[in-house]
Amino acid sequence: MTAEQNVLSLTNIHKAFGGVVAIQDFSLNLKAGEVVALVGDNGAGKSTLIKIVSGVYTPTSGSIELDGEETSFSDASSARSKGIEVVYQDLALADQQPVFMNMFLGRELTKPPFGLLDKDRMRRESQELVDELDVRIPSASSTISQLSGGQRQGIAIARATHWASKLILLDEPTAALGVAETARVEDLIENLKKKNLAILIISHSLDQVFRLSDRICVLRRGQQIGIRETAKTDKNEIVSMITGVA
Amino acid sequence: MTRVTSRLNGLDFQQAVVYFGFLAIFLFFAVTLYDDGFLTQRNLTNIVLQTAPATIMAIGLVFALSAGEIDLSFGSIVAVSALSCAVILQDYPLPFGVAVGLGVGMGIGAFNGVLIAYLKLPSFLVTLATMGLFAGIARSMTDLRSIPVMNDTFTGIFGSGKLFSVPSLVIWTVIGVAVGHLIYRHTRFGAHVLATGDNPRAAQVSGIKVPRVRLYVMMICGGCAGLAGLLYAGRLQAAKYTLGESDLMTVIAAVIVGGTALNGGKGSVIGALLGSLLMGMLNNGLILMNLKVSDQMIVRGLIILVAVALSLRDSNR
Amino acid sequence: MKHLTKTCLSAAAFALATLPALAQTMGPQGETATPSNVVAVADADVEAVRAGNHTAALLWHDQSDFVNAVTAGATAEFERLNIKVVATTSAGFDAAKQRSDIETVLAKNPSIILSLPLDPVTSAAAFEEAKSEGIKLVFLSNLPSGYEHPADYAAIVTDDLFQMGKQAADALAKSMGGTGTVGWIYHDASYYVTNQRDNAFKTTIENDYPNISIVAEQGITDPARAEEIANAMLLRNPDLGGIYVTWAGPAEGVLAALRANGNKTTKIVTLDLSEPVALDMVRGGNVAAIIADEAYELGRAMAAAAVLDLLDQDVPPFVVAPAVTVTADNVAEGWMQSLHINAPASLTTSN
Repeated sequence: MTAEQNVLSLTNIHKAFGGVVAIQDFSLNLKAGEVVALVGDNGAGKSTLIKIVSGVYTPTSGSIELDGEETSFSDASSARSKGIEVVYQDLALADQQPVFMNMFLGRELTKPPFGLLDKDRMRRESQELVDELDVRIPSASSTISQLSGGQRQGIAIARATHWASKLILLDEPTAALGVAETARVEDLIENLKKKNLAILIISHSLDQVFRLSDRICVLRRGQQIGIRETAKTDKNEIVSMITGVA
Repeated sequence: MTRVTSRLNGLDFQQAVVYFGFLAIFLFFAVTLYDDGFLTQRNLTNIVLQTAPATIMAIGLVFALSAGEIDLSFGSIVAVSALSCAVILQDYPLPFGVAVGLGVGMGIGAFNGVLIAYLKLPSFLVTLATMGLFAGIARSMTDLRSIPVMNDTFTGIFGSGKLFSVPSLVIWTVIGVAVGHLIYRHTRFGAHVLATGDNPRAAQVSGIKVPRVRLYVMMICGGCAGLAGLLYAGRLQAAKYTLGESDLMTVIAAVIVGGTALNGGKGSVIGALLGSLLMGMLNNGLILMNLKVSDQMIVRGLIILVAVALSLRDSNR
Repeated sequence: MKHLTKTCLSAAAFALATLPALAQTMGPQGETATPSNVVAVADADVEAVRAGNHTAALLWHDQSDFVNAVTAGATAEFERLNIKVVATTSAGFDAAKQRSDIETVLAKNPSIILSLPLDPVTSAAAFEEAKSEGIKLVFLSNLPSGYEHPADYAAIVTDDLFQMGKQAADALAKSMGGTGTVGWIYHDASYYVTNQRDNAFKTTIENDYPNISIVAEQGITDPARAEEIANAMLLRNPDLGGIYVTWAGPAEGVLAALRANGNKTTKIVTLDLSEPVALDMVRGGNVAAIIADEAYELGRAMAAAAVLDLLDQDVPPFVVAPAVTVTADNVAEGWMQSLHINAPASLTTSN
């Protein structure tokens, strides 16, 4: 397609659980700064695919390349260490902890000589990050449970942005949000493109998919139906691809 | 303005209960029991000495509860540790007794921890069972007999001794709280404990080894109970199977009043210290008030009920 | 292993020292008993004591009818002598709590402490401070190890334990017509009070009643298991003529087992008053007799012993309060004599 190198290349990915085939012969390339939406009905295999890319599942066959190099993930931590971050549908935030501790959850910063937590630096960096992404929260010391749904989503996305060097997976990022909050989160996702990250987004809202994505990849019952450039398709085509009804 | 209130909310009503409660009860006793010697240095020191083992147990329990687990067996661990230590000290020098006492505590904690973390059994049921198991072992290991501790160095360090005229049990309390607080609030492990109790799935997908955290908190709880056993053995210059048995409810109440959530993710070591001192102060003050024993129990029960209700109000919402 | 063996050996040695074969109650260190009625503050001294404005603290091990009666007896005697009781505590059988209780009441500088030391070993250090401050100590039943009379304490006061066991044997033998088989349920712990009573029963049956034989022996530590133990005993010895139960708590369980088996013939004798057990007795059930102690008198004697020590008079080291055999015929009197309260209405009206 272009000379630019793919951040992520999935080639002929196949995943079966026992005798049940969940993903069949799936291939997709993602470039830096590109948003690709993954759409399909419930049970189409979107979640399975996300879990394969994030290292939770190992594919039965097929190859995963990162920056052109063949790779495999032993678990979620190894995918994360290779620059892939996931924003889970449930956000995976610790509600009773402050924002800055969530930003650095599992990757807390410490300072010499005793290896104690460097809370000041974590607080400062978190504040910088939320300011940069324009996530409006009272402060980096606020407790998650005091924040609105949109603010929490913002924190989860900001966290992924902070740690991802290559790819962010967004699983239904606005499913639980109202109209205004959805708009803010979509702005945030637009912002991420500027950071030159590849983004794979799962969404049920076709309006949203058309607003955000560069390309749309349709799954149906584990099969890859097709990939369309968003600018060159329309909702009717996508709907009929999803449902299989022409 | 919102920033201020949210800060206040966060920092926080539950923790404030123990500070205000502590102060209120202290002032009440100070006024009403002034003539009965409540405010004497001797009596105030007594309160700290008497609560030292419970405070150490409470610190361990803060870790377990914060990680979303509970330990009901720590009272039995106290007895087994104290007895093991006392038996060893009959024939071997001090370091062996201390090592065995603490080792037994952490070992039992590890036993609980493996069942909870790796066999995925609920901690409530595991420790309910091991509470009985180790209470039985404590009874059988010396045939219900009390074992005297004659090692003067030991009883000095863990009981009646003083360093620069500060009683050793006060020093243990200070060390225990300082180290506990430091680990809890200022290390990665402490952060992982809180995250595990708060949202185990989030902790796990963030790369925290959740089972290992669970194992470690149970070991800390056991180790603290072991240390509490040594303090009892030093204080009484003897070990007995009943040691620690009656501390379960007091320690749980102290920890909850101190602002630690029963369902994990939130807690305070300093709060647990204040909670424990609060319990000790109640015992002390109600005796000095010359109440009948049954009235002491009723009043203590009511005050604890109010304190627990206040400190849990927020998290029940 | 070595340590455990050693511990057991020392346990055995201790048991031998405290379980006399003699036919009378002996103190923890082999002291001979002085009847409690001998211990009294002379009328001539009352005014001097009243003028002294002394204070006393009562540090009990637990709460029960018995403790209440001892407290009442001691308090009445103290009131007569213008001695104020400044604190009362209960350790709930927790040695560490007892230690704390002692420290706490010392803040009130009492001149007298009456207490039941939970355990000779753990209480030695616990009472050390009170001892060194010269507070007059009177102990109930137990003695902290290493304490010397009269330097360290005024007296030990206890029930006439041997008499209680002996009277239990006599009462059971009488109800069985002096012949038959008996089950012996004893307290399986090294506890001076129960050990003496249990052994006195056994000794008396063996020495005084040649036609009665003890065919079953079973130790008990947890009263809640008494019913199972009695069931097992009855299964193996269905024609048991009588059962001795170490105290009233487990006796309630034994009674439940007999009822469940429809057994109306096996007699029970136990120690310490209890309403459910006494109710069975007055209704002509299995219970033949309850042996009680004169707890109120015991409390009075403790108070008096402490005051005698305050007056620098000689106090006998080991004082015993008498035992009372309570049967269906003297429930009301027995209750009053033992606990200094009226018997529960259920016992006096159903007859």
